[in-house]
Amino acid sequence: MQVEVKNLTYTYSEKSKDLATRALDNVSLTINEGEFFGIIGQTGSGKTTFVQHLNGLIKITNENSSIQIGQFKLQDKKCDYLGLRAKVGMVFQYPEHQLFAETVFEDVAFALKNFEPNLSEIEVQDRVRSAIEMVGLNYQKVKEKSPFELSGGQKRRVAIAGVIVAKPEVLVLDEPAAGLDPQGKKDFLELLHTLHKEFVKTIIIVSHDMNVISEHCTKVAVFSSGRICAVGTPKQVFSDYELIERLNLDLPTTAKIIKKLSAKGIEIDCDLTVKDFVRAIKDKGERL
Amino acid sequence: MPLIQLENVNFSYDKNIDVIKNVSLSIFEGEHIAIIGHNGSGKSTLAKLFNGLVKADSGSVKVMGLDCSDKKQVYDVRKKVGVVFQNPDNQLIASIVEDDIAFGPENLGVNRKEIAERIDFALKSVGMEKFRHSSPTRLSGGQKQRIAIAGVLALKPSVLVLDESTAMLDPQGRKEVLEVAKKLNQEQGTTIINITHYMDEVVNADRVYVMSNGEIVLSGTPQEIFSDREKIAKYGLELPLSTTIADELNGVGVNIDGDVLTEEQLSKNIENWLEGLCK
Repeated sequence: MQVEVKNLTYTYSEKSKDLATRALDNVSLTINEGEFFGIIGQTGSGKTTFVQHLNGLIKITNENSSIQIGQFKLQDKKCDYLGLRAKVGMVFQYPEHQLFAETVFEDVAFALKNFEPNLSEIEVQDRVRSAIEMVGLNYQKVKEKSPFELSGGQKRRVAIAGVIVAKPEVLVLDEPAAGLDPQGKKDFLELLHTLHKEFVKTIIIVSHDMNVISEHCTKVAVFSSGRICAVGTPKQVFSDYELIERLNLDLPTTAKIIKKLSAKGIEIDCDLTVKDFVRAIKDKGERL
Repeated sequence: MPLIQLENVNFSYDKNIDVIKNVSLSIFEGEHIAIIGHNGSGKSTLAKLFNGLVKADSGSVKVMGLDCSDKKQVYDVRKKVGVVFQNPDNQLIASIVEDDIAFGPENLGVNRKEIAERIDFALKSVGMEKFRHSSPTRLSGGQKQRIAIAGVLALKPSVLVLDESTAMLDPQGRKEVLEVAKKLNQEQGTTIINITHYMDEVVNADRVYVMSNGEIVLSGTPQEIFSDREKIAKYGLELPLSTTIADELNGVGVNIDGDVLTEEQLSKNIENWLEGLCK
């Protein structure tokens, strides 16, 4: 499924003279199927408002705006939002705050039962089991537990199981690794790659962690004051030092080193993953 | 005399699970300490022990000689040790910034004139003078955390504990909070205890404590801590990214000498290696 956003404009409290705030201003962006897409920008730049449009949590109000995701046309009043939400999964910041059911099983099964009410009990069980196992938890051990008995990292996994159980093709994650310890963060990013290889075709991730973006994303969009001011590969976006500095953003570590070396007259041309950076330095040495 | 001294401290919320196991440590005036460890390792509980928000089951917690387990002394302890938590929205209570900062000293019965002076001082320390009459709800996350810090500074504490205070902030907000902490440490001699998951924040500390399952398993300078690669992995931590890159470079035959903890050190080392090849 391709995500195609055209001229998206959104204003909070539109009808109030004093409180009206333009959050998105004529944003157009195409995210192709298969992409591991990063969205960056300062707090208040419109990132979250943008992604909340993608599964209809915020509905299009501006008549010139349109969003098409696969066959779903979100500007359409008759858009099948339930169907859309089964295909576009959304994981918010601190997803563990959204757990509510008495058992892990019930929590994970909740969305599935809503999206596919005709599934038999056995089918529901199978799907819930595979979702829980996919996020790296032991199904037998956790299924009858209260989600609130689990550790923070486990809770987050349960919350994600509750989203992927519907087998979404597009998965949107808003700051998914915030507050996790280093090991938890590493495991979590590995989980995203596993999902990406399985049924999730497109991953869209909002993050403040530029190293996560440069290491994992195929493409990045930079938001500022409700607009997109750059789209490209991490290498393209993070080589515009002037833009990154003006927007008060950070560079990934590899880009910072490349910038420092460049100031000394040493030019390194590579993608910004650690692996490619190491290869480029080695090559540079061999050529001398 | 250490500013904060813990001796053989044990603590549990629930009798079956020990959250803090036999912890002893000494933190001295003017130090910048980092505490790291996996989720659930007991870091935040340790922070709560420092100012008597939780009371040790056994062992002693002393702050400037005051006993945290003594009900009569714990209020004095809280004047000495201020804690800023993770979520800025949970810590601000008043509808105007200056009222929020005044809340602590008002409760201590500080007189009006001095409260006004303390507000001036606190706002100036965090660089938020312009927002004195603003509403906290209209501030960014980094600004809110700076106001939370100002609220703590108005009590004139000797120790500022940051309990993952930058975890919810964007890079700009994080930078603001860390700069304020650094300035307080360097200019006013405030002792800083930073509990964090960000390894690049640890690099700037004087000393580091590593916690795992309720125990202090390592302590030392950042250089000492990060030179033990095996233990870093064992305790679920990671190296600063510059250190990881230096290791990988060494692995493919790019000789990076010495310990690398920062981007400056890494880029300097790469530069030296390349220059060495030219000769």
